[in-house]
Amino acid sequence: MRRTNWLAALLIAPLMLLILGSFLLPVGFALFTAVADREVATTLPRTRAALAAWDGQGLPPEAAFAAMAQELGQALEERRIGDMAQRLNFERTGMRGLLLRTARAAGRMEAPYAASMVALDPRWGERDTWLLVQRAGGPVTPLYLLRAMDLQRAPDGGLQEVAVEEALYRQLFWRTLGISLAVTALCVLLAYPVAYTIAKLRAPWSSVALMLVLIPFWSSVLVRSTAWFVLLQREGPVNQAMMALGLIDAPMQIVGTRVAVVVALVHVLLPFAVLPMHSVMKRLDGTYLRAAASLGANGLQRFLRVYLPMSLPGVLAGAAMVFLLAVGMYTAPALVGGDRDQMVAWFIAYFMNREVNWGMAAALSAYLLAMTGTAIGLARVLTGSVATIGGRA
Amino acid sequence: MRRLLGKLAGLALGVAAMVSPATARDLTVVAGGGALQDHMRRTLFSTFAGGPVVDTAYDYNVGPIRAMVQARNVTWDVVLVEAPDLIRGCEDGIFERIDYGVVDRAKFMPGGATTCGAGAIGWGVAVFYDEARHANGPATFQEFWDTQRFPGRRTLRRGARITLEAALMGDGVAPADVYRVLATPAGQARAFAALDRLRPSLVFWTGGQQPIELVNSGEVAYALGFVGRTANGIRAGARYNLRWPTLLYAYDSWAVVRGSSNAAAAMRLIQHITEPGPVTDLTKLWPINPATASVANDPDVRARNPLMMTNHQAGGLEINTEFWLEYGPDLEQRFAAWVNR
Repeated sequence: MRRTNWLAALLIAPLMLLILGSFLLPVGFALFTAVADREVATTLPRTRAALAAWDGQGLPPEAAFAAMAQELGQALEERRIGDMAQRLNFERTGMRGLLLRTARAAGRMEAPYAASMVALDPRWGERDTWLLVQRAGGPVTPLYLLRAMDLQRAPDGGLQEVAVEEALYRQLFWRTLGISLAVTALCVLLAYPVAYTIAKLRAPWSSVALMLVLIPFWSSVLVRSTAWFVLLQREGPVNQAMMALGLIDAPMQIVGTRVAVVVALVHVLLPFAVLPMHSVMKRLDGTYLRAAASLGANGLQRFLRVYLPMSLPGVLAGAAMVFLLAVGMYTAPALVGGDRDQMVAWFIAYFMNREVNWGMAAALSAYLLAMTGTAIGLARVLTGSVATIGGRA
Repeated sequence: MRRLLGKLAGLALGVAAMVSPATARDLTVVAGGGALQDHMRRTLFSTFAGGPVVDTAYDYNVGPIRAMVQARNVTWDVVLVEAPDLIRGCEDGIFERIDYGVVDRAKFMPGGATTCGAGAIGWGVAVFYDEARHANGPATFQEFWDTQRFPGRRTLRRGARITLEAALMGDGVAPADVYRVLATPAGQARAFAALDRLRPSLVFWTGGQQPIELVNSGEVAYALGFVGRTANGIRAGARYNLRWPTLLYAYDSWAVVRGSSNAAAAMRLIQHITEPGPVTDLTKLWPINPATASVANDPDVRARNPLMMTNHQAGGLEINTEFWLEYGPDLEQRFAAWVNR
């Protein structure tokens, strides 16, 4: 018995290592990046130590000023000032200019630094500037997780909303959730009859129909989304057809609207709803339906009370799949969506690639992960209850 | 069992050897791709006498370069980078210092030779429209903002950079004052208020080809788009009216990725690809805006390429890189929030 356990463990070891190495570690690292605060500790270690002893009242001791001036000059010289400057500038705009200006002047400044730094820039004489640096000492910060919810720390340490003209992310998450749910609902409604029909077909037609469902996978999401851009544009075939039919007088604006995003996403994700439904429907035991018929149930009753409950696990699996993929969609909304239709993934890519602000990218990813995790959990709970209903039926 | 483990270990080592960087890697240069890079290959890279050069394209996203340097697995040597990325990358030690013992500092236009970058080519955006559709169109940003005189939809870049400058000029701020005004809260409010006014007839583009497509398909009447692409359209027969007084421009630079095993050869390559000879050859194939002063000021080159940005740069506004490094994160967030409202 023990031998077989060992063997089993050994056999799944490669899989476990793969999951650990390619999934758990990177995800864990990404989650940690969302709270990590290393830049100041790495670049200004002595300043950080000097500030740790400061009680936050008045101005910090001369030792902190001296360490700041020397370490800034050194960091500029050794070319490792940018990350730290961006980190502080992200929390308060203008810090980058202050830090670089001080770093460039560091060689010319003389003790006492408390006087010469304030002479260079009065912001060094403000307590808030030093509190900001002290708070950024790490090792962890709630900064990114708060910002990704449009919150920030007030100077007194409490929480406050960011300025109304900068609030963005809560609305973004609601929008991502809304679009994903709409796409999921449409996919399920469209896929159910398709899967039902395919499951009823005889060979070889069922294989042919499945093939047709799979054909869109032969081209990339990018190509399919671009195709929708072409179809839906102002002088595109959809508008021309509607004008020829006399439905509209002037071309409608479809590209750049929420409708275009939902249409493109439904098209891209529909196969992911059809396939799980089909595989469940294919295995449904026909004897239950015949039993229901023999007990006098009519067609509608047979469907609603027998077939639908039994096929629900497939529906939920398909819906979960579509929802998970929709939440992370990036290409289609970017191509056919308008300015108000971008989803969270767009901003993650923006922070990763353009701003190189990995903390913010990680914080947004963490919330997205929580959202998908909740969806999976919900789907599992629902499937569980469906299974019991099915059992009773 | 032990033999199996031994085999697995051997396999792992073999995989590791394949994954680890090759010791003798060809000199790799990375630019923005497209037809321009094809022409660069022909005139700049393949004429380098110091060994074979391979080139690959990227989309100006510096995230991957930072990851490469941090992982100490540098597979790119020379990269064409935008000004803000160059400065930040230089401060963070993502790029090597240019060896001005190898690269001739004197041949660049003023400001073209920096610590980590050697000036490469300029790019810009300006207002244009299709004269086949609209006989008359805005010639300045103030007219671009005048929807009474010039009705119809217009497109600007989705992003704070370039767009906020345009908004202030559309509101009547003189080009010379744009960055001074934009640094103040009142100036920022003014720029966003100007965008608010134009919002009902505004669409935004993200990719460089979109302004052309939007104008060609009639989705918009007037666009602020890259002058290089617009000029290429004109040369190909399109009837675009390109309004040079609305030019906003910047210069890209060649930089060497830090930790490159070919750093010495990379410096020699940069010296070669910024030399007047190869760069002049490139201007014969593509109307680039060289940062090599003698080519940019060459009357023959200028006369041959009337649509070269260099010919029209005097009236334009140079995008202020240092301003955007400091105010960018804040203004970009505010812009994203504004656009999403």
